[in-house]
Amino acid sequence: MSALGGKAAGGEGINPTGSVVGIVILLVSIAATYALGFSIVPLIGIIIGGALIGFGVHFVPVGGAPAAMGQAPGIATGVAMLAAGAGLAGLFGGAWAYEATGDFAVAVAGGAVGGGLMMAITCLMVNATYVFAMGIPAASGKIAKDPITGDTFPEYKSQGTEGHGLPFISFFGGVVGGFIAGLGGTLIYIELLDVYHAGLPAIMQANPEAIEPLAVSLAGIFAIGFFLVNAVLAAYNITGTIEGPHDPKFKRVPRAVIGCAVASAFCGLISMLIVLNTGM
Amino acid sequence: MEEIVLGIGITALAGAFATVAGAAEDTESDIGSQGDPNSQVQLAPQMGYIHRIFNKAISGEPPAYGAWCAIGAGVAWALMQINYNPALAIILGSVIAVFVQGIYCTSGYLGRIASLAKFQQPVYIDIIKSLLSVTMAHAFVAIFCTVAMCYLMASALHHPFALPLLGLVWGIALGAAGSATGNPFYGKERQYQNQKYGAGVPISASGNIVRYAEAGQRSSLDNGWFTTKFAGPASGICFGLIVFLELWRTVLFEKMMGGWGAIIMGVVLILVFTFIDRWVEVWGRKTYGPYTTEEASS
Repeated sequence: MSALGGKAAGGEGINPTGSVVGIVILLVSIAATYALGFSIVPLIGIIIGGALIGFGVHFVPVGGAPAAMGQAPGIATGVAMLAAGAGLAGLFGGAWAYEATGDFAVAVAGGAVGGGLMMAITCLMVNATYVFAMGIPAASGKIAKDPITGDTFPEYKSQGTEGHGLPFISFFGGVVGGFIAGLGGTLIYIELLDVYHAGLPAIMQANPEAIEPLAVSLAGIFAIGFFLVNAVLAAYNITGTIEGPHDPKFKRVPRAVIGCAVASAFCGLISMLIVLNTGM
Repeated sequence: MEEIVLGIGITALAGAFATVAGAAEDTESDIGSQGDPNSQVQLAPQMGYIHRIFNKAISGEPPAYGAWCAIGAGVAWALMQINYNPALAIILGSVIAVFVQGIYCTSGYLGRIASLAKFQQPVYIDIIKSLLSVTMAHAFVAIFCTVAMCYLMASALHHPFALPLLGLVWGIALGAAGSATGNPFYGKERQYQNQKYGAGVPISASGNIVRYAEAGQRSSLDNGWFTTKFAGPASGICFGLIVFLELWRTVLFEKMMGGWGAIIMGVVLILVFTFIDRWVEVWGRKTYGPYTTEEASS
């Protein structure tokens, strides 16, 4: 691995054979869910949520180890971890809003705003650290001019580096990424919670109030699991670092969306099998 | 009304816990060298620079803190189920989580440094002896504060998640906030203190970390002392703001407009932080100005 966290290694295009295999797995998962007597609507929700997480992760500006030395722009931590942190903060807000209001739209929007808020604060503190503590202005290494503010970067980039800090476009990407990831995570949580609410009382032969904490905990832990699966898949697609929506690597996003949808479909099937009523 | 006043009080207390947790978390990770800058600590002996820096990065901070806080919260939750006093349960849970952290640090240091044996990097037993207790103490503060904050969310604010699940969620968020804010300061400002201030580290300098202190070789305790000057408090502010504002907007505005009040407030907060960020960025560009050729070539 190079000091810059690895150059593009996976290519940009979509592998047709891999995609067909993936879509077959996705369809088989949906068919199996239907054949086992579950409604496929929650699974569709889970698939959309997973794809949204994979999509959102690509917006988050992550610089990894090079960013910690001011050698590359972005936030100095891992892709999957940062996205998971933001998404889980969103999941916290979304789950709370769902409990309080029971309104699907409010809960999903609450999750999205929670993730966006976490990323906005984190990105601000990253820039404050670079500017006030390290005396380093923000500069992108991938583009010469910020598409939103019009700031130019080459003259603000110190020699021997690929840029540093968080230019405004990266800040914007971080907030949008947290927003989308929080939305996707909360969507998965709500779909799973509905499945468990309906299924758990039947298989455990208990009343719905008694299994409420179990249903919430199961849906929560599975939602976190989905988060990590999709964030790690997206991180593999990114290979190392990404600056945000303006980065050339962002063009790889369709591949991640397909991969995350397939993984979410299969994991969604597994997570529903817990409440499979086998009649025993 | 009384419920809202209590909610605001709990929110403030949780925010304060989060601030302390963030500061302790970043300091712990800098003393233990767990964040991304540890790539340089690992790289240095391979470039011929033998050092006495602690090195325990088996995983990133978010999953590590997710595990420790979930363990602390899980044990505390189990003890509370058998009617332990919550304060005692949280302390005992955090103590057990800290022992797990200690085992992790020891195996992390020995494993990581032993893998550098072919580059003549020795395993210093005195480093384990002197630094392990320091990282454990900081980790205790971070885990205790996080678990206590989660307990407030579960018991006083009635969040639907169980305490261990809250520990996992906020442990991961704590690690994400702490590593994002604190890593550049530890990596650039401390490990590459010999490089020019106000510029990134040239890629060609990778691995040449500062290894000597005022007297003798630099220890990771010196790094903790240095990073508490900015990175620790900044991480604390970051995590404290995240927790405080997330709770604040929900507690105060959840009831308005059928739940949309909290969301609108969240969007307003995001816009406020966006403006502050833009101001910081422009301030940096105006104050420092572009790099000149003379500076760049010297």
